[in-house]
Amino acid sequence: MSPLADAQWYKDAIIYQVHVRAFQDNSGDGIGDFGGLAQRLDYLQRLGINALWLMPFFPSPLRDDGYDISDYYSVHPNYGSLDDFKTFLGAAHQRGIRVIIEMVLNHTSDQHPWFQESRKSLDNPRRDWYVWSDTDSLYHGVRIIFVDTELSNWAWDPVSKSYYWHRFFSHQPDLNFDNPAVREEVWNVMKFWLEMGVDGFRLDAVPYLMEREGTSCENLPETHQVLKEFRAKIDQNFPGRMLLAEANQWPADLRPYFADGDEFHMAFHFPLMPRMFMAVKLEDRKPITEILKQTPKIPDICQWCLFLRNHDELTLEMVSDIERDYMYDEYARDRLMRLNVGIRRRLAPLLDNDRRKIELMNGLLMSLPGTPILYYGDEIGMGDNVRLGDRHGVRTPMQWNGGWNAGFSSADPEMLYSAVVLNPVYGYQAVNVDAQHRSPHSLLSWMRRMIEVRKSTPVFGRGTIEFLSPSNHRVLAYIRQFGRETVLAVNNLSDSAQAVELDLSLYKGSILVEMFGRNLFPRIGELPYLLTLGPYQFFWFRLRKI
Amino acid sequence: MAEESILSDDLLRQLISVGEVDILVGLPTHNHAKTVAHIAQMIRVGLVKYFPRERTAIFNADAASRDGTSDLVKAASISDAREPSALQSLRTLHCISARLPGTPHKGTALQAIVAAADLLRARVCAVVTPETTSMTPEWIDRLVRPVYRDSIDLVTPVYRRHAFDGILITNLLYPVTRALYGKRMREPSPGDFAFSERMGAYLMGQDAWRQELGQSGAEFCFASAAIAAGYRLQQSFLGAKERAVNHSTDLVLAMRQTLRALFWSLDEYYPAWSGVTQSEPVPTLGSEYEVTFEPMRVNRKRLHEMFRAGVNDLGPVLASILTAPTLEELKRCANTADATIPYSDDLWATTIYEFAASYHRTVISRDHIIQALVPLYRGRVHTFLEQCRGASAQDLEQNIEVLCQTFERLRPNLLAIWTKPEGGS
Repeated sequence: MSPLADAQWYKDAIIYQVHVRAFQDNSGDGIGDFGGLAQRLDYLQRLGINALWLMPFFPSPLRDDGYDISDYYSVHPNYGSLDDFKTFLGAAHQRGIRVIIEMVLNHTSDQHPWFQESRKSLDNPRRDWYVWSDTDSLYHGVRIIFVDTELSNWAWDPVSKSYYWHRFFSHQPDLNFDNPAVREEVWNVMKFWLEMGVDGFRLDAVPYLMEREGTSCENLPETHQVLKEFRAKIDQNFPGRMLLAEANQWPADLRPYFADGDEFHMAFHFPLMPRMFMAVKLEDRKPITEILKQTPKIPDICQWCLFLRNHDELTLEMVSDIERDYMYDEYARDRLMRLNVGIRRRLAPLLDNDRRKIELMNGLLMSLPGTPILYYGDEIGMGDNVRLGDRHGVRTPMQWNGGWNAGFSSADPEMLYSAVVLNPVYGYQAVNVDAQHRSPHSLLSWMRRMIEVRKSTPVFGRGTIEFLSPSNHRVLAYIRQFGRETVLAVNNLSDSAQAVELDLSLYKGSILVEMFGRNLFPRIGELPYLLTLGPYQFFWFRLRKI
Repeated sequence: MAEESILSDDLLRQLISVGEVDILVGLPTHNHAKTVAHIAQMIRVGLVKYFPRERTAIFNADAASRDGTSDLVKAASISDAREPSALQSLRTLHCISARLPGTPHKGTALQAIVAAADLLRARVCAVVTPETTSMTPEWIDRLVRPVYRDSIDLVTPVYRRHAFDGILITNLLYPVTRALYGKRMREPSPGDFAFSERMGAYLMGQDAWRQELGQSGAEFCFASAAIAAGYRLQQSFLGAKERAVNHSTDLVLAMRQTLRALFWSLDEYYPAWSGVTQSEPVPTLGSEYEVTFEPMRVNRKRLHEMFRAGVNDLGPVLASILTAPTLEELKRCANTADATIPYSDDLWATTIYEFAASYHRTVISRDHIIQALVPLYRGRVHTFLEQCRGASAQDLEQNIEVLCQTFERLRPNLLAIWTKPEGGS
C-alpha cells in the first residue's frame, strides 16, 4: 500500500506544525510564503516528518495571526496565490508528505463580508449567520477564554445596534451553526479545499460551535451533531481524509468528539502536555500515568494527537489550581512569560536548553500512545522572545543559517514580519539548521534519528499501552504492543542516575534489543529486570523471543 | 569484622526506589495498630497540604509489630499504583516500612530513621510518636517548616499538657537541660521533633552517639547531642498531647532510660556544658507552654511509702552516691510522719547533681546508681503533686521556674564535685 493510500495514515504520521509566514520567504518581502515553504520540503522530508499542519493562510486582517479569516476561498496575498498553494501541495504529496490545513469554523473576522452584511440590517439575508442579541445577558456565566483581553462574550455592534456573541476576541464574531445556510456554506468551504487535495483539517475551537441557554455553551450535543454531519459528508465524498479536533477539554469531555468513530479521527490530548512538563520538573511519573489512566478508550480508528509545544501558550486550563501555580513558578517565573491561562515559551527555553531533557521529552512524545506533532523550530532548539507580545514570541522566523535574517528572507531586517531571535543562546547565529546539519550529534541530527526509529515500527502509532509500576517513581516505564511487536520504553524523569527493577515476568525469555543502537541486552529471567539509567535517559527496547 | 547494618537489603531496596527527598517523616512503631492509621493520615495530609511541591516520604521503622501496624502505615501512600485519593497531590508520597532487627527499642528505630534520612539526603526529617491521638496535620508544618525554611537544625515541641503529665520532664530533664546546657528547652526528650540534614549527618558520624542511642532514652540523646554541638534550635507549639486511653508507660523503665541518657550525655558532653554560665530561651513558634488541670486520681500516699522504703532499703547504696549531708536530709524528708517535710527544690537539685557526679566517676555500678534514683524520684513527684494542690496553671509554671532557678544556682556545686577523685559521703 502506498503511503498515501492507507486510510488510517494519521496513526503513523509524524506531523510538523508550521506557519507559512514563519518558515521561508521566497518573494523577498519579509514574510514567509508558499514558494518558500515548497523550497523547504526537502528539508522536511529529510527530517522524516510525513504530514504538515499549516496554520491559517487565508485572507485575514491578521489581528489574531490568521485565526480571524475574512475569506475562506483564497490565500492571503502575503503568502502567495491559490496557484502557489496548489504547487506546494503537489510538491508535498510527491514527497509523501500529507497536508493538513487549519479550518476556523467557529468564527470569522469581523471584516468578513458575511459579517459586514449581517450587521447591516435586521432583515439582511445573512443576519442570522451570526449570533445576535438585544441584550448581553443571554448565556450568562459562560466562561471567558481570553481573560487577559476580554471582559464579556458579548460585544456591542454600533452599526446594527445590538450585541454579537464571540468566544474569542471581540473582532471574531461566532458563526450561527443553528442556521442551515451557515452549515451548508461551511461545507462548501471544506469541499473546496478537499477537492484541491488537502489531506485533512484541523478544526479550530470545535467545542463552541453552538449556544444554548443554561449551559456552558461548550461540548453541546447539537455541536456534535453538526460535526458528525461534516464527517459523514467527508467520508462519503473524500474517503481517507482526516479531521482533527482542537478542543482544550478534559479527556472525558473529549471522548464524545470521537463518538463511535464517526466524528473526529483525531483530537489533541491537551491535559497530557502540561503534565509531561510537570513530571520532568517533579521527577515523578505520577502526573503522566494519572492522566493517561483517566483517559478513556477511543474507537479503534481514532487517535490522540500529542504535542509538546505549539503556536499558542502552553495552556494550563486543564490542570488544577495547585498544579497551575506549580507550573507558573517552575516554568514562568518572569510574569512576561505568562499569557491568559498559560505560558508563552518554546520547548528549549522551557527545558533550560538542557539537551538531555529535550531528548527525553521528545522520547516521551514519540513513544506514548498517539500521533506526535512537532512545532517548527523545536527540532533545532529554537528560542523565543517573550517581549514580542501576545504569542508572537513563539512565532518568530525559522532559523536556517547564520547569515542574513537567519536565511529566512532576503528582505531588509526591518521588513520582516517579526524580528528574528538574536540573543547569544538561542539567536540564529548559535541555533540554526545549517550548523546542525553539519554535526552528526546536533539536536537536529538526533531528531532525525529519533523519527526514523519511531517510524521503523507501527507499534508507537497503533499499539496498546501497559504501564509498569516499578517502585522507583522517577522512572516511567510502559509496554507498547501491536500485533506480534512488543516495545518496552523506560524513561528516567530525574536529573540523577536511577536504578529500576522492572517486573517483566510476562515476557520471560525475551531478549531486549535497544532500538537506537540495536544492541542486545540480557534476556529476561526469573528475577525483576534491573536497569540503570543516566540523568533524563530513556531506552526503547524491542522485545524479541528468540 | 564487618559491622551489622541496621538497614536490611529490603529497606535499602525501598530507599533506592524513593531516592532523594526533601522531607522524610519517621514513624517508629511497635504494635500501634489502634492509633497509627490516624497518625499516618495526619502525616499524609500535613505533607500534601503544607509541602505539596516537596519530595516526601514516610518511613515506618517498625519493631516487629504483630498487629498489622506497617500495613496501616503503607496505606497512607499516594502513588500511581493506588486508587486516586480525594487528597490532591502533585507527587508520589512513598510509605516505606522496615522491620527492625532485635528487640523493640525506640533507639534502634530512631537510628534507622536517621540513617534513612542521611541516605535519602532529606533536607529535613521529622519524627512523630505513633500513640498520640491529638495529632493534626499542622504538627507536620510546625515541626518541618522551621528546618526547611529557616535553617533551624532541631525543632522540639511544646505541648499543652496535663499538669501531671511529663513530671519527669518538668522536674528533671527540663531543669537539668536548662541549668547545665543553658537551653530552656521545654521538651528535651521529645517524642515529636524534626532535624536538619546536616544534623543528621553529624549524628551519623558520632560513633558514641550511635552506640548509646540503642541503649537508652533515644530522644534525650538526640537533643543533648544537638545542643552540645551548637546546632540551631527552635521550639514549636503543637497543641494538646493526648495519648490513647490504654497507653501505659512503665515508669521504672522510662526512668532508667531517661536517667541513663541524661547521665551519659553529661559524661559525653562535659566540654560543652562545663563552660555554660547562664541559660537562654529557645525561640518558640506559637504558645510558650500550656497546662491543663482536669481531675486525675493519684495515690499520693503510696508514692511517699515507696519513697520512704527506697531510702531506707538503699541506705548503703545511697551512701556511696550522695554526700552525708544530702543523705541525712533525704532520710529526714523520707521518714517524717505524714510526709510533712517536702522534698525541696534544693535537695532535689543537689540529689541529681550528686548522682550525676557519682555516675560520671562510676563510684559503684552505673546501673545501680540509676536504679537507686528511682525511689527518690517518687519522693520528688509526691512533693510536686502536693505543690499542685489547688494551684493555678500560673502557680505551677512559677513552681517549675523556681525549680529551674534552683538547679541553675546550684550548678557550681556539680562542677565542683564532677572531677573530685572520690565520691560518696
